[in-house]
Amino acid sequence: MDRRDFLKGSLSCCGLCLLPGLSAAGFFSPGSPLPASRLSRVEARYYRKLPDREIKCDLCPRFCRLGDKERGFCGVRENQDGRYYTLVYGQVASLNVDPIEKKPFFHFLPGSGAFSLATAGCNLSCKFCQNWEISQMRPEQVKSVSLSPEALVAACERYDCPVIAYTYTEPVIFFEYMFDSSQLARKKGLRNVVVTAGYINPEPLADLLRVVDAVKVDLKAFNQNFYSEYVRGELQPVLQTIKQIARSGTWLEIVYLVVPTLNDNPAEIRDMCRYLKEEIGPDYPVHFSRFHPMYLVKNLPPTPVSTLERLREAALAEGLHYVYVGNVPGHPGENTYCPKCGKLIIERYGYVIRKKELSGNKCRYCGQTVAGVWS
Amino acid sequence: MSKARVVIVTYSRNFSDLSRPDSGVILAMLKKGLEALSGAARAEEALKSWFRPEETIGLKVNTIGRRALSTSPETALTLGLWLGRTVGREENIIIWDRTEEELKEAGYKISTSPGSLKIFGTDNRRAGYQSEPTAHRHLGSLFSRIQAEFIQASISLALLKDHGLAGVTAGLKNYFGAIHNPNKYHDSNCDPYIAELFETNPIRRKHRLTILDALRVQYHRGPSYHPRWLAAVKKLVFSLDPVAADAVGWKLIEELRSQNGLPTLKEEGRQPSYLMTAEKLNLGQSRLENIEIIEEEV
Repeated sequence: MDRRDFLKGSLSCCGLCLLPGLSAAGFFSPGSPLPASRLSRVEARYYRKLPDREIKCDLCPRFCRLGDKERGFCGVRENQDGRYYTLVYGQVASLNVDPIEKKPFFHFLPGSGAFSLATAGCNLSCKFCQNWEISQMRPEQVKSVSLSPEALVAACERYDCPVIAYTYTEPVIFFEYMFDSSQLARKKGLRNVVVTAGYINPEPLADLLRVVDAVKVDLKAFNQNFYSEYVRGELQPVLQTIKQIARSGTWLEIVYLVVPTLNDNPAEIRDMCRYLKEEIGPDYPVHFSRFHPMYLVKNLPPTPVSTLERLREAALAEGLHYVYVGNVPGHPGENTYCPKCGKLIIERYGYVIRKKELSGNKCRYCGQTVAGVWS
Repeated sequence: MSKARVVIVTYSRNFSDLSRPDSGVILAMLKKGLEALSGAARAEEALKSWFRPEETIGLKVNTIGRRALSTSPETALTLGLWLGRTVGREENIIIWDRTEEELKEAGYKISTSPGSLKIFGTDNRRAGYQSEPTAHRHLGSLFSRIQAEFIQASISLALLKDHGLAGVTAGLKNYFGAIHNPNKYHDSNCDPYIAELFETNPIRRKHRLTILDALRVQYHRGPSYHPRWLAAVKKLVFSLDPVAADAVGWKLIEELRSQNGLPTLKEEGRQPSYLMTAEKLNLGQSRLENIEIIEEEV
């Protein structure tokens, strides 16, 4: 298979997006699905050994209990003869340079390039997953390239990106790789951001927060029924994660993908906003993003823009300072307005910054401090 | 309502090596089992009534336990070759599982040659998974193209084992190997997922026969291999009712557990509740009082 075939195949079937320049520059060999025996085999963190070669995983709230040769719900961590291994350490299934606004982070180094990557796998199973072709796969079912933390950091520097983003699927499930890469990146003066559904236990999260600079949490809904039916997870651990991140001082943004008729109840959104304001304060951005039919939820239309606008208004009315409309390029709800004087201080079009009226971290018009990491 | 029929055939002597059973004995057990199951004078007549000559028939085996604990290649090959000779053509038989790595480690030799019986995994470059997921009740999965496209009839040639989460893994759960994401369906004792998976079109419309390989049974701490709790049972179990076959498999496991002083699966909080769910979905009989069990010996 030549490189053209590889790229064509990977884009069409299993979602591997590589940076052509990187590939040509010799950082990677074009990948293909590897048999399980040739995947990485790095011992996982956060597990307990049990009698009879069983183990219990403590990484996420599922606490998977596994016999020999069995994998966790995530599909990427396996018990091999009583020891638990991650099969995706450095096994990169998607790699791109994205604007950081695409994550989205709107209050974290706006306009920066984020060197973005993912492995296969996820510890949730959202029926509306927008990246299901890699997130809902096992590592041997997708094309991947091997990329050590050292090679990752070097590539990030080569592309002049100030940020590494662990994103696309669920970085929690490639914790060890993310952690080691983040530590190394920090030493080189790079920042690390994580895009996650927040389904992680407090202890690993505390360790992670020591080496990353910002976290975007996908809050899928504000009711347990939705989490049970459409996400296959629990709401409470995610809320716990949000509070833990905010209390750690790590920058936090929250995305809420609005799925028509399923999680767009205005009263529930108001409850959620009141909760967030009370628990973490009004200054962490909340993005209401537009859903597009995908994966197992193809019977619903894209979210009406009017719904997003109504929810944004409700959130602002509840006292949140920075509330955005997502996935609607050109919408005024993409812009940042000063919570004190109301003037437009960052104008965006899609992922592009058109205007920035900040002096340091303050509104240029009234001097109000605008929460975020701006430099 | 007529009872479901399940046939248990026991080999009355000892195998010289139970991990590599003699194919002559296996063939005799297969014939005895299918004759008792069908009521036909000759097992070949039964096969011809269940399968058409033009059909490609899949034998879904379970090889996750490698050589130590998989559907024995001798059983699968004996059945496959006999089926090919009897019903149609040998080349129309596919013995398969998820990966060729697992098949090979379980003792199978990969074969895709024209004109002969096929043995390969879904990860074979000619197979793979379908590109669009099938959504059904709580499930969303890509099906193996072998199950969904290559075959017209299916036999679940499963290994009978204790299972730490599902309680029992047998003919129904064997089809977890036909989807790309079985790891997503092990919570809640795999219930209702095992039953709902069987209910999908690629499986229910093609499944014709369950045969449980119970020559050796892991009756505790399964599905992993633990020789301490592995019994030489020397049985094959047959049924046209996929739920009844597994219900009888559960009974065999409970008997072994009782003989060895272990608590019941219910006492351990992991009885295979998916069997009751399967019955509610009209997939078969889960209650022993509705199952006729015929015991035979070879």
